[in-house]
Amino acid sequence: MRQARAVEEWTAEPLERFVAESGARLTLLMTPAGQVLAQHGFTRAVDVMAAASLGAAIMASTRELARLLQEAEFSALSHHGRRHGVFLGGLDGPRGRLLALVVYGADSSVGLVQLFFEELVASLAAAAPPPPAPTPLLAADFERELNESLASLFGR
Amino acid sequence: MSLVNFTTREITCKIVYYGPGRSGKTTNLHYIYGRVPNDRRGRMVSLATENERTLFFDFLPLDLGNISGFTTRFHLYTVPGQVYYDATRKLVLQGADGVVFVADSQARQLDENIESLQGLQANLVAMRSDMRSMPLVFQYNKQDLPPELILRPDDLDDALNFWGIPSYASDALQGKGVFETLRAISERVLRRLSQEGPR
Repeated sequence: MRQARAVEEWTAEPLERFVAESGARLTLLMTPAGQVLAQHGFTRAVDVMAAASLGAAIMASTRELARLLQEAEFSALSHHGRRHGVFLGGLDGPRGRLLALVVYGADSSVGLVQLFFEELVASLAAAAPPPPAPTPLLAADFERELNESLASLFGR
Repeated sequence: MSLVNFTTREITCKIVYYGPGRSGKTTNLHYIYGRVPNDRRGRMVSLATENERTLFFDFLPLDLGNISGFTTRFHLYTVPGQVYYDATRKLVLQGADGVVFVADSQARQLDENIESLQGLQANLVAMRSDMRSMPLVFQYNKQDLPPELILRPDDLDDALNFWGIPSYASDALQGKGVFETLRAISERVLRRLSQEGPR
């Protein structure tokens, strides 16, 4: 059974292979704005979204620091804790820039994660389909459903 | 940038609450967080200084439910309002699908409102967008203060709102106008998505 949950299905198989090889406990693939494309290992959706917004913010501020220092890019970041390490990396592919947030434990290492991250970048580039053509999206009367959703959300 | 998945029929949009320091951006999110059922919202993340001023951003994921057959989620962000945090404001604004400009209605804060609005326009232009193309609504907050201290919504429209964009009087602490503002920006974001497709 597939362990990864993917909004963009083409990311699932490369992500699962990366997790199996690197020994990562949690992995997120997201856009630079913090929107999740795929995840592996998270058990509650809310934690996924909080982690994605924080990971994207770290990467955005690091990229801006690089620009100030006239560095092309700080390609990856890692943080070490007593029980967990966190690796953050950016990757450019046919579907634009993506970010990966990887949490690993004592049974893996930043070196191992970094090694297989390079493979993940290549396999995502190979798996990415061409961008979909723009198509009509929402029904013309979507405002009625939106109003109902907002009313139920606020209990009005 | 909206994330639209046609296979799983999911839409995720990013809405940024922008405005000068202490205008009530974080208060808007706190009110929304407090009123929405647990199963329709995620964890609220706040990166604040020790005295509770927003340092980087506040973040609140919201599940709007099913709209036109799509599971629709909004990610609400605030930016730090203080002038010296412009670099982080730009970062939070990246990828935004819609902006709520929260103005402080106090008469003595008018210059701060104008400066913040000019900053918003400059940051949008740097993202190859602008206020005419970005879905935007104004919220004139603190309208509950004594009349002699504040500008009326009409006056604030004259001073800030040159494009006839929808504007809402609010008292975010008590929730007045918060829901109406969110409804308006949601409509504008989704209408644009409907007309133009995912960017």
